[in-house]
Amino acid sequence: MSAFLDARALPKDTVLTPDLAIIGGGPAGISLALALADSGLNILLLESGSMTFEPPTQSLYQGSETGVSYVPLESGRLRYLGGSTNHWGGWCRPLDEIDFENRDWVPHSGWPFARKEIEPYFARAQELVEAGPWVYDAADGAVSDSGPVLKLGEGGIYTSWFQFSKTKNGILPTHFGERYQGELKRAARVTTLLNANVTGIRLSHDGSQVDHLDVATLSGNRLTVKPRHAVLAAGAIECARILLASDDVMKTGVGNGNDLVGRFFADHPIPRNVATLVLFDGHCAPFYSNFLTLPNGAVMRAGLSPRAQFLKSHGVVGSLTTVENEVKLDPFATAAVETTAEALGVDASRARAFSLGCGMELLPDPERRLTLSGERDALGMPRLNLAMTITDDDFARFRLTLAELGRQLLAARTGMIHLSYNTRAEWLKAMDWGNHHLGTTRMHVDPKRGVVDADSKVHGVGNLYVAGSSVFPTYGSSNPTMNLVALTLRLGDHLKKVMA
Amino acid sequence: MRRRGVLGGVVVAMVAAAGGAAWRFHLFGPHYPPTPYDDLLNQITDRAPARVVGGAALKTMPGANAASLAGMLRGQGSLAAAAASDPAKDRVTEVSGWVVPESVARYAALAAAV
Repeated sequence: MSAFLDARALPKDTVLTPDLAIIGGGPAGISLALALADSGLNILLLESGSMTFEPPTQSLYQGSETGVSYVPLESGRLRYLGGSTNHWGGWCRPLDEIDFENRDWVPHSGWPFARKEIEPYFARAQELVEAGPWVYDAADGAVSDSGPVLKLGEGGIYTSWFQFSKTKNGILPTHFGERYQGELKRAARVTTLLNANVTGIRLSHDGSQVDHLDVATLSGNRLTVKPRHAVLAAGAIECARILLASDDVMKTGVGNGNDLVGRFFADHPIPRNVATLVLFDGHCAPFYSNFLTLPNGAVMRAGLSPRAQFLKSHGVVGSLTTVENEVKLDPFATAAVETTAEALGVDASRARAFSLGCGMELLPDPERRLTLSGERDALGMPRLNLAMTITDDDFARFRLTLAELGRQLLAARTGMIHLSYNTRAEWLKAMDWGNHHLGTTRMHVDPKRGVVDADSKVHGVGNLYVAGSSVFPTYGSSNPTMNLVALTLRLGDHLKKVMA
Repeated sequence: MRRRGVLGGVVVAMVAAAGGAAWRFHLFGPHYPPTPYDDLLNQITDRAPARVVGGAALKTMPGANAASLAGMLRGQGSLAAAAASDPAKDRVTEVSGWVVPESVARYAALAAAV
């Protein structure tokens, strides 16, 4: 049954009966389909869009927002095969061990398992995102020809390394749909159904099993999918919408018996120009602000991250600080640099200044949530409202991290920094977002604290799973794609066992 | 030949002495009216930028004045030593957003306060 089919062309009321239905053809859905391609299972990959961007399909993502200004819901993701890898930046880095820990200064923190649980899947995930050989923080010893890493005094911040997805023979990040359509087509037991929108997950009368999926096309066709198992892999926003809107048996929505679906929405805020870095000798190795390709092909970029010990001692959460553009200093800044450098006995006559960017982790917040609105889309599905929050505490904790960087620069007599923002208004004015949607079907062993269990199975529903970053309870400063692929591969192994 | 060499040596020595004196007493640098705090302020070659920073630093030090700042600074050794050791001891502060050693902020504030 291997094929790419168009749901619009199937006979009306067709009933499909795969072993496994995967809802969503983004990085999670495609990775899972490929991981199970040789498992003997008949797999149906349901993708809402086609192979290219189409405005009517994209508009299904529209929703409303309240609270802190956020990216329009239809803008931060893409609804065609490959999903949001069609516009991602290719940044990759494994989550840190501490990201999985239950931390008393981070309410609602703690994954059901430690990082070692997904470490076996990192190598394959790295292959799928095409980020080259696994180097990351081992890069310190590999980049000496390109300049030294920043000399910092002892303390909480260190040079961390990201790698970049890079297609073979190209420079763009891997677009999963374009890149893996060949493998999907060649997989004998995988059928990819395009233009197929899942509009409802219909449960058995007792709510314990998925009975079937309602599928609709924008052309008016209606299909039914009756899978043995289903995996929701539609992104943290759409997963929540489908679960909440499927309220015929469970009146609050599938998996939402404890009012958790859609809560804890998260992203990486990336306020611009958060600080100015001055280096007294004027030298900043190029890999802090640009790509560096190692001889082994790995494409790297350095950032500045807090150590686990600093997170613990200062009660902060994950962040990444990046060097961006060279900037000029105003007279006050020049005076500050001259005065400080002289006191430190350092020649600052060749000092240069750079703006700093960042990615911040937000504290988990149950009130940062998606709910169904009164509006409906072209398929009759309720649209979403996002209540977006970011607290003064979120800003204050990241500011502590920046100040620590400044302290370490002074301690090493390397340079100094200026913190750009102090008030909430200043932070919000500079705000931008990473479009890394997370947290809305968070993972926890306790159904009262999580939507899915440690196997990514929806609590209380025997054959429904969620794949993707919507299950991340916390997420550090690492970009989610490579990590969600690794977690999805782990789910693939689990499904092989339970569906055998 | 020997006399010429001796004279040359004397000239070099005089130039060196003059240069040393110029450096020691800031003969070619900025000149400032005497203050009761010159034992501290003479550690700053150019007080103009320090005053700029110090003006902002003073705003974060309620009640501080030249005498109180000097009292604090006289007990803590040289500016160079304090500035070098402050960061490692977590003694940094913010002056208009700039993270600086506490001693630098205090010396700058003193420069602005006199």
